[in-house]
Amino acid sequence: MNRRTKRRIAAAFRFGFLGASLFAVGFPIYWMIITSFKPDNEWFTWPPIYWSENWTLDNYRVVWLGIQARITAQEAFTMQKPLQALKHSLALALISTTLSVAFGTLIAYGVSRYRILSDRRMFNLLMLRMIPPIVVAAPLTLYYSALNLLDTLTGLVIVYVITTIPYTVWMTKSFIDEIPHEMEQAAEILGASRWQTIWEVIFPLIRSGVVATFLFILILTWSEYLLALILSKVDVVTLPVQLSKYEGTTEGRVYGYQAALAVGVTLPLIVIGCFIRKHLVRGFTFGMVKR
Amino acid sequence: MTASATETAAGTGAAPARGSRSRGIRIFKWTLLTPLFSLFFFLMPVFLLQLYFSLHSWTIYLSSWWDADYAGFDLFREVLTESRFYWAFARSFLFAGLSTVGCFIIGFGLALLMYRPFRGHSVFYVLFILPMLTVPIVISYTADMLLFRSGPINDIMSFLAGTEIRFTWLANPNFAIFTIIMLEIWNWTPFAFIIMLAGLSSLPAEPVEAARILGASRLRIFWEIQIPLLRPVIFLALILRFLEAMAEFPKTWGLLQGGPGTSTETIPVYLYIVTWRAFNVSKGAAASYLVMLLMIVIILSAIYVLRREKKALDALYEKPAGGGEA
Repeated sequence: MNRRTKRRIAAAFRFGFLGASLFAVGFPIYWMIITSFKPDNEWFTWPPIYWSENWTLDNYRVVWLGIQARITAQEAFTMQKPLQALKHSLALALISTTLSVAFGTLIAYGVSRYRILSDRRMFNLLMLRMIPPIVVAAPLTLYYSALNLLDTLTGLVIVYVITTIPYTVWMTKSFIDEIPHEMEQAAEILGASRWQTIWEVIFPLIRSGVVATFLFILILTWSEYLLALILSKVDVVTLPVQLSKYEGTTEGRVYGYQAALAVGVTLPLIVIGCFIRKHLVRGFTFGMVKR
Repeated sequence: MTASATETAAGTGAAPARGSRSRGIRIFKWTLLTPLFSLFFFLMPVFLLQLYFSLHSWTIYLSSWWDADYAGFDLFREVLTESRFYWAFARSFLFAGLSTVGCFIIGFGLALLMYRPFRGHSVFYVLFILPMLTVPIVISYTADMLLFRSGPINDIMSFLAGTEIRFTWLANPNFAIFTIIMLEIWNWTPFAFIIMLAGLSSLPAEPVEAARILGASRLRIFWEIQIPLLRPVIFLALILRFLEAMAEFPKTWGLLQGGPGTSTETIPVYLYIVTWRAFNVSKGAAASYLVMLLMIVIILSAIYVLRREKKALDALYEKPAGGGEA
């Protein structure tokens, strides 16, 4: 009896904690989604409206298609060329991730099999990620403007590749380390060249790991804010930066528009993240913790 | 170790071609490193420019930056005598420290509740990692929708308390920093959660089993067996989280821009404001240099610990644990 009540209390505590956490996680996301479907007169009401009766897609039309809203004061916001931001974000994330993964995988292979970087250097490589980018942002802007790289995709790709390469090298190395050396020895004996070995023996074996790395880096580059804010002005606009533009100086924040854009920005990441959920640990810990 | 073994094994097989072979390997190695090095050297001048600006007085209102006046260490002196700079540091440490501890405690708690499989386990897992997958700047704008004075959080609290609560989460200079810390905790608890969950499920089962048979209490098993075994994972989670939190910018900036007043001005926000709001590039550069030096010291000591713990971790993974294999 005593034991049973004890166990019941433990179970109640357990599910209480899990339930509270679930609410804490779920409610903000729920609120973001519901706000994105609310008409503009329901954004600021007290008491707040938890379930709107007047669902509308207007917010989505404005932020994603740039269709004029009815309210003239907000016309300025529709001039932001939203689809262009989507295009730029997509191009930037895909190009820089591809390059980062390509360079990183090759380095990881070299480290794993030929020790081209010593243990100490591998750890110092982490510095590229760990030093806050804000400390070099100002001279970087001037350097870029001197080279005409400011406000271009190329400029952003360069900094994204260099700040994500520690992750790719470490993560793919942890996958390559798990592959036995016998395969390559066999390939070598059969007369394959080094590049052939990489491409035809190693790569097929780590393909799922490389895909996981690619998607992980895609999450990082897609949501990057600071460098995109500083190094782009007019020609290049990424979605996170675009999001901060729906903040009027006179009419305050435009919750519905922000929410509609936010849902679109976040949704792909949630899909990708759930897809690679088993590898997220490896990614975030530079491959040091495996599952 | 094994790599060199391969090399010698293959080398004896092709003795005459040995010299060209080792040269081939050297070329191969450098080919692999070329992209990284070229990017790195391409960005090197940035650090020199930074030094130049921190020693020369220049703001964006002056023209051509190359003939700015030499100022010696005046700018460093200006930054170091400014109390705002020290406050920003204090806030950054408060922010990073508290959020790291908060993330860790909640994340570890969740991991402890979840590491034994139960029905619906994977659903909970997917739901709990969602905050980590949300774009940081989105979190700051969503937080604004939730926390403004007539927002739903105040409404829910009013409902729970029975009276109307209109708490100022954002405009209150004494509390705003804690609001931002809570956001950071919301965002990154999944990070601690997944790391600790992976750590817990890779623990060998035998020591715990043995202790239980010998009659040790749950608490004692936790403190004296599980925690020591988990030490490398715990260090890893804390260090990585702390370093990321020191550099946090989108949430702090997006929600409050360092305000009200300067009450949420952490180091990255301070640097951003000095450089891009006051357009005082030189002062920003000097401050950046100081921050960079301090960060390098912090990071190097963090790396020292990480290297030590990585070895312990590798040892843990190398000995195939009885029940730990996934």
